Amino acid sequence: MTSVLIVDDELFIVELYRDILQLRGYKIVGTAFDGEEAVRKYSSNSEKPDVVIMDHRMPVMNGVQATREIIKMNPKQKVIFVSADVMVEKEAREAGAIDFLPKPFRMDDLIEKMQKVSAQ
Amino acid sequence: MKTETPKNREQKFAYYMDLLSHDVLNNNQAVLGYLELILASGVVDKKTRKYAEKAVSHIRTSTILVDNVKRLMTTRDMDSSELKPTDLMVAMNSAERDVVRMFPDRKITVKTPSGGPGMRVIGDNAATDLVLNLLVSMVRLDPSDAITLELKVSEQIVQGRECLQITLEDPTAQMPRMAKDKPIEDAYQEDSSIAVRMVGILYCKMMAVMLGGGFEVRELSPKTEPKGAAFVATLLKAGEP
Repeated sequence: MTSVLIVDDELFIVELYRDILQLRGYKIVGTAFDGEEAVRKYSSNSEKPDVVIMDHRMPVMNGVQATREIIKMNPKQKVIFVSADVMVEKEAREAGAIDFLPKPFRMDDLIEKMQKVSAQ
Repeated sequence: MKTETPKNREQKFAYYMDLLSHDVLNNNQAVLGYLELILASGVVDKKTRKYAEKAVSHIRTSTILVDNVKRLMTTRDMDSSELKPTDLMVAMNSAERDVVRMFPDRKITVKTPSGGPGMRVIGDNAATDLVLNLLVSMVRLDPSDAITLELKVSEQIVQGRECLQITLEDPTAQMPRMAKDKPIEDAYQEDSSIAVRMVGILYCKMMAVMLGGGFEVRELSPKTEPKGAAFVATLLKAGEP
């Protein structure tokens, strides 16, 4: 079962991803509401998620910085970047994100990316 | 007390507009996601499915409207020399995919011209948005369940400048009466009841003009019923790469 860490500052978005991913058989191993919390949880958990779903605009630390920190700890970590800021895609990919989804997206698009990324 | 300059005020305004747009998109994401969950639940009857599909198309339209606001904010201070060329074929193909997805309750067919060299216009992402807005605005004018739209591109010289003219035709669209009798802005301001259907057209005109081109709407076949509609957007042609 593919495990996921969800990072987004909006509780309702975290709940939405959780509802959908759990229904589709994914295991949610953690949630974080800002980049710093994501990095902290990522480094302290011994079991690393297969995929991190990362938002960009968050308090304390943004998604690009958090992605950079996570990739520094584990260069093989798969991070799917999701953001309403399409302009940030290049920066997110440079930070190490494996894929990018502009918000709002269809849930099937997210699942498709999850399957593609998990298979890589 | 620090004096606020017009530039500071402008930056602050742009910042808050950006924050608000971002939050609208996040909320659209949640509504869209849960509607998709409802549709996928397997216990939805035909009528409820139709309602949910209509809601999906409105959420997608709402997203385009927010994107339009953001695009206007970023494009208004630019001149055409700052804009990158856009491949019209890529823009048309992408808009075709998006409009079909946006209206799951309709059967939409978009005929696009076969590609060729030299179909590049000045307009960056704004030109891509413009093509999508043309299609979405036309669908909003057409009450049919099955809609066939046709995109055509031709070369034109306007005021001595090389341009590409994008014509979108829909034989079953119903253009609001005022839109054909008056300049779009006047019709929009005079009758707010048609505002929702006209706002996309107004945006297309505004954006085409901002990109250095022009825009007009007309009936497709004035002597027959339905009269249909045609949108004609003219954009400056970009040189070869």
